[in-house]
Amino acid sequence: MIAGFVQILLFQGLGELAAHFLLPLIPGPVIGLVLLLAWLIFRKSVPPTIDLVASALTQHLGLLFVPAAVGVVVFWPHLRANALAIATALIVSVVLTIAVSALVLKAFGKGGSRET
Amino acid sequence: MHEIWVYLAGSPLLALTLTLGAYQLGVMIYERANRHPLANPVAIAVILVAVTITLIEMPYPRYFEGAQFVHFLLGSATVALAVPIYKGLSALRGRVVPLLTALLCGGLTSIVSAVGSARLLGADDAIIGGLYAKSVTAPIAMGVAERIGASPTLTAVFAVSTGILGAVLARFVLDFVGSREWWQRGFALGVASHGIGTSRAFSVDPEAGTYASIAMGLHGVLGAILIPVLVPYLRF
Repeated sequence: MIAGFVQILLFQGLGELAAHFLLPLIPGPVIGLVLLLAWLIFRKSVPPTIDLVASALTQHLGLLFVPAAVGVVVFWPHLRANALAIATALIVSVVLTIAVSALVLKAFGKGGSRET
Repeated sequence: MHEIWVYLAGSPLLALTLTLGAYQLGVMIYERANRHPLANPVAIAVILVAVTITLIEMPYPRYFEGAQFVHFLLGSATVALAVPIYKGLSALRGRVVPLLTALLCGGLTSIVSAVGSARLLGADDAIIGGLYAKSVTAPIAMGVAERIGASPTLTAVFAVSTGILGAVLARFVLDFVGSREWWQRGFALGVASHGIGTSRAFSVDPEAGTYASIAMGLHGVLGAILIPVLVPYLRF
């Protein structure tokens, strides 16, 4: 458990360093994700200790952004003033995104299907 | 009594207990509601904490000072997303081109339609900034928000709302456009509604869930790389 967490922190640190010195537009943890992914592909398996920590973290991913989202209290008047625009934008966008993604996949037709 | 209160409010303990307690309650309600997307545990937790700190007159910065220990784990959790992405890679085989095309078209549609309709209806720049990354999984979306000068809080709130809306509406939209294959339905939902869409997809069909999870992972990585590059061109 601890070993897995140490390795994840190391990849996170590498990502932060790369973001700071090489790729300032990309969030450090995302570079860390890509580096860890590359490493997993290279060694062709997930070390059990990383697997354990990763499933604990991703299973409760939602909990981790509660503190930031509670900041909504600061934006409350602002959100109310823009409520109609926000609601419309969110609904229109999610409907179109699902529709477009599904239609593109459908357009590729049977070419993309295979036995599973 | 007053002294105890002052002591508690000054330590991170109160904010941490409040955050974890509210989330736990959210999860319990979610399970009771048979995992209905409208009973989303994150939304419940955010509302509970927001109402509580307002009632006890705890300023947000003081709450965050305590809750930042939870917040800090976001970065590690983002790195950890490499594991589910790695496990989903085998499902990509033979379908890379359709899936990546669908992801790029879907991702662009998400940004253009959200930013476009919000601007049309007169939303201000702060709100619009929060909309760019809203279809990306929240931990990554918040990192992207920081890079493009948008509010991570608004981005997180819009991301959770998008997740819930997508999970609720997907069935009708997918039936309407005549999408029949589970892997296509799942992937489309994952592109639009990240983690919340993925939970929904898993509860309907395991294949849909697997593909939703791949869509969420790929959208996270590609979104983080492409959105900061695209934003200057999309400020119409």
